[in-house]
Order: sequence, then structure tokens, then C-alpha cells
Amino acid sequence: MLKSIKGLVTGAVSTLLLAGVAHADITVYTAGPQSLIDKLAEGFTTETGVKVNVFQATTGKVMARIEAEAANPVVDVLISASWDTATDFAKRGWLVPYASPNAEKVPAFLKTETAVAQGVSALGIAWNTKSGTTKPAEWADLTKSEFKDLVNIPDPAQSGSSFELTAALAGQDDFKLFKDLKENGAVIAGANAEALNPVLQGAKAAVFGAVDYITFGSKAKGESIDVIFPESGTVIAPRPVMILNWSKNQDEAKKFVDYMLSDAGQTLVAKTFLMPARSDIPADRPLIADLKLLSYDAAAVQGKRKETLQQVSDIFGAD
Amino acid sequence: MSKKIDQDADAVSAHDLALHYGDTIVLKGIDLSLSRGRTLALLGPSGCGKTTLLRLVAGLLQPTRGTVRIAGQPVADARTGLFAPPERRNLGMVFQDYALWPHLTVGGNVSFPLEMRGVARAERAARTMRALRRVGLEAYVDRRPSDLSGGQQQRVAIARAIVAEPRLILFDEPLSNLDRELRENMVGELAGLIAELRLTAIYVTHDHAEALTLADEVAVMRAGEIAQLAAPDDLVARPASAEVADFLRLGGTARLSWRSGTWFLAGSDHAVAHEAAPSRGREAQVLLPLAAVALSGPSHKALPARVVRSQFRGDGHLATVVLAGSPDVELQLLSAARLRPGEQIGLSIDPGRIRWFGEESHSTQEKKVVTC
Amino acid sequence: MSAKDIGGVAPAAWLALGGLVVVVAVPFVAIVLQAIFPAIGMGSFAKPFSLLGATLADPRLLRMTGNTVLLGTCVVIASALLAIPLGVARALYRVPFAPVWDVLLLVPFMIPPYIATLGWIMTLQPHGYLEQLFGFNLAPVLFSLFGMTLVMTFNTFPVVYFAVSRTVEAVGARYADVGRVFGATPARAFWRITLPLSAPGLAASLLLVFAAAIEEYGTPAALGRRAGFDVLVTGIDTRVGDWPIDLPGAATLSLLLVALSLAAFLLQRWILTRRSYQTVSGKPQNGDKRPLGYFTLPVLALFGVVAFLSTGVPMLAILSTALSRTISGGLALDNLTLDNFAAVFGNSAGALGALANSLTLGVATALLTGLIGVVSAYVVVKTRMRGRALIDIMTVLPNALPGIVVAVGLILAWNMPGLPFTPYNTGFILLLAYCCILLPQTARYATAAFVQIGDNLEAAARVFGATGAVAFRRILIPLVFPSLASAMLLVFALASRELVASVVVAPVGMQTIATFIWRQFEQGSVGLGMAMAFVTIVLTTLLPLVCLRLLSRKSLIKE
Repeated sequence: MLKSIKGLVTGAVSTLLLAGVAHADITVYTAGPQSLIDKLAEGFTTETGVKVNVFQATTGKVMARIEAEAANPVVDVLISASWDTATDFAKRGWLVPYASPNAEKVPAFLKTETAVAQGVSALGIAWNTKSGTTKPAEWADLTKSEFKDLVNIPDPAQSGSSFELTAALAGQDDFKLFKDLKENGAVIAGANAEALNPVLQGAKAAVFGAVDYITFGSKAKGESIDVIFPESGTVIAPRPVMILNWSKNQDEAKKFVDYMLSDAGQTLVAKTFLMPARSDIPADRPLIADLKLLSYDAAAVQGKRKETLQQVSDIFGAD
Repeated sequence: MSKKIDQDADAVSAHDLALHYGDTIVLKGIDLSLSRGRTLALLGPSGCGKTTLLRLVAGLLQPTRGTVRIAGQPVADARTGLFAPPERRNLGMVFQDYALWPHLTVGGNVSFPLEMRGVARAERAARTMRALRRVGLEAYVDRRPSDLSGGQQQRVAIARAIVAEPRLILFDEPLSNLDRELRENMVGELAGLIAELRLTAIYVTHDHAEALTLADEVAVMRAGEIAQLAAPDDLVARPASAEVADFLRLGGTARLSWRSGTWFLAGSDHAVAHEAAPSRGREAQVLLPLAAVALSGPSHKALPARVVRSQFRGDGHLATVVLAGSPDVELQLLSAARLRPGEQIGLSIDPGRIRWFGEESHSTQEKKVVTC
Repeated sequence: MSAKDIGGVAPAAWLALGGLVVVVAVPFVAIVLQAIFPAIGMGSFAKPFSLLGATLADPRLLRMTGNTVLLGTCVVIASALLAIPLGVARALYRVPFAPVWDVLLLVPFMIPPYIATLGWIMTLQPHGYLEQLFGFNLAPVLFSLFGMTLVMTFNTFPVVYFAVSRTVEAVGARYADVGRVFGATPARAFWRITLPLSAPGLAASLLLVFAAAIEEYGTPAALGRRAGFDVLVTGIDTRVGDWPIDLPGAATLSLLLVALSLAAFLLQRWILTRRSYQTVSGKPQNGDKRPLGYFTLPVLALFGVVAFLSTGVPMLAILSTALSRTISGGLALDNLTLDNFAAVFGNSAGALGALANSLTLGVATALLTGLIGVVSAYVVVKTRMRGRALIDIMTVLPNALPGIVVAVGLILAWNMPGLPFTPYNTGFILLLAYCCILLPQTARYATAAFVQIGDNLEAAARVFGATGAVAFRRILIPLVFPSLASAMLLVFALASRELVASVVVAPVGMQTIATFIWRQFEQGSVGLGMAMAFVTIVLTTLLPLVCLRLLSRKSLIKE
């Protein structure tokens, strides 16, 4: 008995130690899908021999970690789900300028001096095909009476892209659409997955502004769900990759960005149903060129973030 | 007090031993010594400090002042800060609540002291069985203490105390949790064991019968001090104070005053003795032992008294009585016939058997009925 | 004080103190500093108190605090209403299948609250399992204070149930019968004797429920947000999880939460010291229990309903989801699949690694909290050492620290620049977090066990030649071991499924069971997450039960 406890302790200690960070490796924080980063890391290690340590969480949690670690940061490469992060971090002077040779085929609007997109997601209507409702084609269709009490909206406070969609649409008609949605019993339901789950089971019929790649993934697994990109336009969320200036492994970090933008890397991105950043990589889903994008002033929208969120919460707040 | 000059001959000795808890003084400065092969009883009511003194000797407490020596070696000295923990004092101890370890078997409990002393397994087993045989429990070696009766548990505790043949055994009211009959049997057994093994022992008890039966010397303790330290016979024959006499239940105590050539019971007209006692002043504290008080016929010399209570004691009825007009003075006498509470009787007192205390002794006005 | 301890204590005290400082004091102090110095994360003490006012002036704060207390109170009342009748029935009467009920009511402990909540949602929402089976749903009930109370009560009431059944059993056997001899009817004996005597134990368990309820995250986050019901924990999470991050604000809210919990614990202390009776020493005797008579069926039905609601519904929901090919496929035979379980055991997305990590961490946490807990309890109960009150406070304090607070505190403390070594970004940081959060469990059980042990048992060992360390190991540890072992098994179960702190401090590249499940949910693989949850619940329920069985066979544990 005592021996087995000793064995357990030794095992525990060694496991814990092995989980530590060896210093020649790079550390990537990502708000992207775990499966994608796992494959990217695996491919990168095979190609370069550099090990990748991954921390995957939502954008908010990743930011919280970077903030808490501010005094002694460990992250080398950051992949955010919100372009905002790239703008903000650049302003703070935390980013290393880098132009990857593989970024040539990335459209100009998906790269800056200090950041480049890994891939792009778009927002659409996630609709349960067995819900007994008519397939919606437009955002406004969800205010129809057949969608009464059947619409979830991801919380714009918790999701960057959801916020941009909200701000862009609200800017067009001064929140009328959202007031109508509220009238029709739509509710704000947590982050993206939390909003989608009830639609899968049929508790709701549609998500207003669902992140497309998660929905495409569910569809591929056989869920009776589909994504509709309204003709009137939607927003896209490019997912910026950044190299932090405190990184002690900048050469390896740059190599990682190169790999991510390589044919192999971008194919992996496409396989997770994200739009690849490079325009020359094919994907089994609608691409940016196929989508109509809402036009709005991103900077102005971000500047009014607090007010917009307050208005949303005023509209959808508890009765 | 038979204090030896040669410290090395003492199995245990204490000098000016005191213990304070903050402002509370538990022990006031104890001096005592005990020779090898002898038994000392610490006798006193609850809270008199006797168990504290024992725990100081055991090393379960550290003294505030003074020293303790075991076999001549200092084991605690408050001035130098010397303090040997209990495990380095080579002791045996029997606790009031037995303190048998419930998770060990009887054998495991008894062999523990041997194990701590590094005795080899085979010898340990043999000595454990020998000790258990002494207390008549060798059949129970594999049982759990909780399967045993109270008396059996205490025997196991005794076996555990003697198994390692320690140089000193401490008994902390070992029999107080047993019923009377068992207690009386165990006193006899213990006395036999102590004599047979020539144990050096300190025995804490509040039962004067146990103390007087078992000990070579008895220290009567009161309020953190030793009121009297003497051999049992001396103690009974010559108690040092009314308190000691009271505690030993040697009879009733009373205050006498000297008036016109006669000692009267203080505050009354009851004449008790006639012979002059010049060394004493006009007041005296006395013990009227059982043997000094007897029932007498209704003669004019008889002291009128009323029976308060009566209890059968094996050799007669022990009656507690008060003299008419002096309700504070309780006397005790032995009567062949049962006396009923409230009955009026006449007493005679044998002046020759009165035990006179020194004048310095305290007043007995405050009644001390020992209940513990 | 001159009656000093007799040696052998100092090492224990230093061990306790050292462990507590590392595990409890460091993260706590870091949080306090963060609340005061907003820029402490950058290593700067600039602008003390500058953000405190703004956080405290937020009008939503009052509402969040009010909601927190309201939710805690509701859960306490509901737990009492649910657990007391069951506990009393179990203690005083011969309830058929009693051991089975005990195990079934133990399972809710092992179901992570966020999973249970998700299970309830998937059961009660429109087109949920309930509607698929019986054609109606209870969604309006679920997304409300009432629903939250209910879900959280089903998760926490076993604490009260076990406390009540233990104390009432002990008290009932020893004292209520005495009352009956003196003429009390069974009902009067219960009201006049059993209940007052059981009150301290009951109060203690209810306050434990209160503390657990106000720092619960999953349920208020999943159910409360939709009902517009914000509590302090979700407020902290928003500040930690939403860009821009407000760590000083989160720290301030944390301290507010700590103050609430502390108030609850002071209240409990006060009740216990005022009316504490040594009633637990008597061995409960099964023979004394009375038959239920006419009430057999109603009582059985009550046990059945409660066990079904607290264990059955969440477990069935978890299992159905795990066995579904697709969520939209619902409860249908052609939707049945073992793929999700196959994925877990096929190490998909690192499932087996996460299991191994969590089980290892669970064992390590149990051992470490066991050690620190037993040593601290020893110092507090069995010595008169100065500063033992401080040790006592430190073992209780984590009760008031929500997991997310501990996690942030640990990052702040261990990621400071210039540390010669740091557990940060290794598995040890998770170990520290779990130890901090769960230490009160072992400390509390060990304290209770030490109180029951007569002082002379240790004294006897010392007199018979054992050093302090040997007496501790040979006598005291075996005596407290039964209590300690149960506490450590509980710690194991709780540590291996801890979510909130794990998400925040998990080292890069390391998954635990909970972060794995959470990640699957976030990425839409609900079925895989639920399969993992089911495997975990089964493991964390069965392993401790098997352990207890083995230990009792070796007669290390009686009962």
C-alpha cells in the first residue's frame, strides 16, 4: 500500500514537472479551435523540431492571462479571435513587426505591419433545419412571428465578432432590428457555443449571428443545422496572429507564423471550416468573396463599445 | 519528611517545583523525594495539584520553577531550561482513562513500550505475554481494547506500564473509573504487583483507602502544596492539621477553648477535656478520632447529640452526629446498631485519644466536606 | 505561558505554517495587494486605492451583492427543507435500502455543478429530453431564481443530509430515548431534545452550503445570466474574462465575496462555540432504529424522488447526450452511438491525457491537503502554541475564496519577475490552486477527529518512549485516519473535476478533465464533453468507494 502511494507520488511529481516549459520551445496562446492549434503545432514541430506549448481558451480568458502575467509574460505568439486585439496591442507597442514571406497571398486588409490573419470566420444565421420554421434568408426574418421565442443571440459582451455585427446592424437602423428581435422573444444567451447548443436540441430555431465555422463543424458531424449568410451583409472576424515583443524566441515565433501561412498550415485552417487567410487556398465553404460585408467604421464602432453594449443590455435586460 | 542527603539514592526527587498558568498558581513549590523500590501516594481532592505534579514528573508539563530529578539525573530545570521530554525519562504510566490506543490490539498496546526501546520482535512477544500473564489477560492478546470490560482495560494499561520494567511507574488515579468492588480487588492486586516487582511508583489518588493501602509514604496535597508527607501509620496517628484529618476522614474536627481549667467545645458548654495543655494557648484545634467517641448511656456526663446521617461500613454503622447547640461541629462514631437520622443520643469522649493540632492551624469554621 | 508544550510540536507547527503560507496566504495577499495597487501586475505600487472607489461606487455592485446573498439564502433554505426530513428519517428509522440511498445521494457531490446545470438545461428546455419523452417542457421554471435554487440545491443538499443523519443518529440514540423515559412522546423528544442537540451540526452544514452557493460559478452563469440575475462570481468572471480586463475590480469583488463568506463562518463559529455539545462520541447503534410502519412507502417514495432528481436526472441527461450521434437527432435509436466514448478512450483531443493529469493532480492534492490539514488541525486542537488561531483562520479562509480568485491570486503571486523559481506554468500551479481551494475539507475533518481523541492517548505514547514524531505517526495519524481518509477521497473527487481555477491557471499545453469538457462545449462537441463527464463521474464515485471498501476490509476504518 505504502509502495503504491510512493509510486503515485513519484508519478505525479514527474508528470507535473514534465508539464513545465522547456525554454527553447515557443509558447502559443490561442483563442482558436484546439484541434486546429494541435495540428498546427504537430506539423510545425515535425518540420522544424521546435516544440510548441499551447494555451487555448476564449479570447477573454487568453487576455486575462496575458494581463495577469504582465509582469513576467511567457507568451511568444498570440492568436486572437478578434482583430481588435491586434490594433490594441500594436497601440501599446507590444508587437514585433514581421512580414512573413508566405503572407504575400494574404489580402492587404487581413494584414498589418505587426499582425496577419490566420484565418477568417464570418457570422451568419445558424438555423435548425428540423425546427419546422421556414429557412430564413435575412436577419430581419428572425423577427417574424414563426421565430417567436426561438432565437438566441450570442452575448456581444462576450464575443468580439458578435459585438461588431451588433454595432454594424444597429448603426443602420438605430437598434430597431434588435428592438424587434426583443419583441419577438429573442434572448441573449452567453457565448457562441452556449447560444448554439439549444438550437441543436431544438429549444431554439436559430442563432442570430452564429460563428460560422463551429456551425459548419456541427453540420459536418451530422447535426441538422445550416448556416445562412444574409444578402444584406454580415461581418467577418479575421483572427490575427501576433508576435509579442517580449518573446525570447522571436526567430522560432516567426518560423511558426511562416508555417501557419504555408500551404500545409492554411490547409489545416481550411479543414476546420475557417476561411483561410491566403486567397489561393481552397476551402469547402463560402469564402470572403462569396459574402457581402456590412460597411461600417470599425474604429468608430470600437470607440462606442461601452455605450453600444449598454444599449443592448438595456433592450434585452430583464423585464 | 525523610529527605535523603545522597541524591543518587533517590529514584525521583523534586525541588521547589512550581507551575503557573498565567496568574493561576497550580503548584506552589513542591519538595519531595522517593527512594528506589518505594511507593509514594499523592492524595488530595480534585484541583489540589496532584495530577499536575505527576505530569511534571512524567514530562507532560514543563515547570515554571524548580527542578525534577529521576535517578539522580536532572530531567527538568526551569532555571537552565533543561527539559527531557517524556520519552527520554524511561517511565511507565497508568492513566485514569486507561489511554489504551483503540487502533492497536491488546498485544500491540502492551508491546509498544518495548518497540520504542528497540527490543527485538521475539523478545518483545515473550515479554508482552509475560506482562499480560501477570494481569491474567494472556488470552486476550489479539483482541481490541474496546472488546474488554473496564477492569480488563485497566489491567492491560497496567501490563503496558510494567512491561518495559521502567525505573519509575506513575499511576494517575488508575482505579477511579472502576466500580467499588472491582476497585477494592484491584487495590489488592496492585499492592501485590508493586511488592512483587519492587516497583518504584508514584500513585495519584483522591481515595485515602487506596493511598493508605498501597503507599510507603503518602503526601496529602491541598491547594498546590503538600500539607503533610508521612508514612501511612504516622499520617493516621498524627495528622498535621485539621484539613489532613478531615480529608483522611479520621473523625470530626473541632475548636476548643480553655476556660476555668477545662477545655470546652468553642461557643458551647460541652466540656471535652480537663487536663491542662500549657504549650497551647486558650484556643486549640483538635481531632476527635472515631476511637475517641463512643455512645454512652444517659448519664449526666454524657454529651447530648443528634444523629445527622448513618452509613453501613462493614464493621458497623458510621454515624455522623452534631452536638446540641453546636451545629457546626460534626463528630463521627462507630455504632454496632443502626442509628436513625434525627435520633437523640448521648456521647462520651475519651480525652486521651484526642489529637491536638498546633495553634497555627486554620479555623475549621468553614466546613470542609470532602466530596471527591 | 509557562506550561509549554513538551517538544515534538515545533516541526509540526512549522510544517503547518509553511504549507499554509504557500497554499493560502500567498494568493490571498496577492489579491489584497491587487485590489489596493492596480498596477501590481506590472510590479508597481503606484496609485494605491485609485480604482477601489470606482468599483465600489458601481450601482450594479449593490444588486450583485444582494443577488449573491439572496441566492445563497434560497439555496440554504431549500437544502434544509429537502435534507432535514431525509436525514432525520435515515437517522431514526429503519429506511429500507439505506446504504443504497446513501451512495445515490453521494453522487451529486461528484457531478460537476456546471455539468449538472447543462444536464438540466438539456432536459427541461423546449424540445429537451423531457419534452421529447413526455411532450412538455419546464423552461420558464429553469431560467429563474427558482430554477437556479433548485439546481444548486440538488447539488449541495447532500452536505446537510449527511450532517443531519450523522448527528441526529448519535443524539437520537443517546439522549432522545432518555427523554422518552421521562415521559416525552417521540415527537416531543425530537423537538425538545434531538433537534436542539443537533442544531450546531445542522447550522454548520447549512453555512457550508451558503458558502458553496455564493461562490458557485457554473449555475448562475448558465441560468442566471439569461434571467438577468448577476451575482458577484459572474461579476468577477466578467472582469477577468471580458476584454478589457479589470483585475483590480475583480480583486475588489473577490474581497467582498470573501467578506460575505467570512461573515457566514464567523456566524457558524459563534453558534458552535456557544452551543457545542460533545454528542458525536457515542457510537450510533442501528439496533435502536424504529420501523417506519405506515410511513415506509411515503418515505421510500421521498428518497426515490429526491435521489432521482439529484442523481438520476443529471446522470441520464449526461448519458443520453454522450450516447447521441447528434444533439439535433434527439432521443432516437438510430441516433444512438458509442462514438463519443470511443473518442474519449481513443484519446481524441487529448482526452486520456486530461484524465491522467486530473487523476494525478487529484491524488497529489488529496495527499498534500491531507498532510497540511492533519498537521494544522493537530496544532490547533492539541497544542497551546501561540499563533495557532492564525493557523486556524488560514485553514478556514479558502472556504471564502472562490476558485477564480485563488487562480488570479496565484498568477499574480507566482508570476512576479525575479523569482528564483516558480511553479507558474507547470502542473504545480494547479496543485497549489486545488490545495488552496480544498484544504478546508481535510482540515475540518481532521479537526473534528482530533477533538474526539483524548489527550492521554498521545501522552501515553510519549511516556512509553515515543518521540513526538513517532507518537504522531503511530498513534494520532491512525486514529484520525478514518475521518481523514474520507476527507481526502472527497478532495480527490473535487480536485479532479475543478473547473474555474483550472481554466485560468492551467499551464500551457496541459489539459485537465474540466478544461477538456469546457473546451468541447465551447467548440460544439457537447457529446464528447458529456462522455468525458460521465466517465469522470463514474471514476470519481467508484474509486473512493472502492478505496473505502479496501480500507474497511483492512479494518483501518470501522463502520
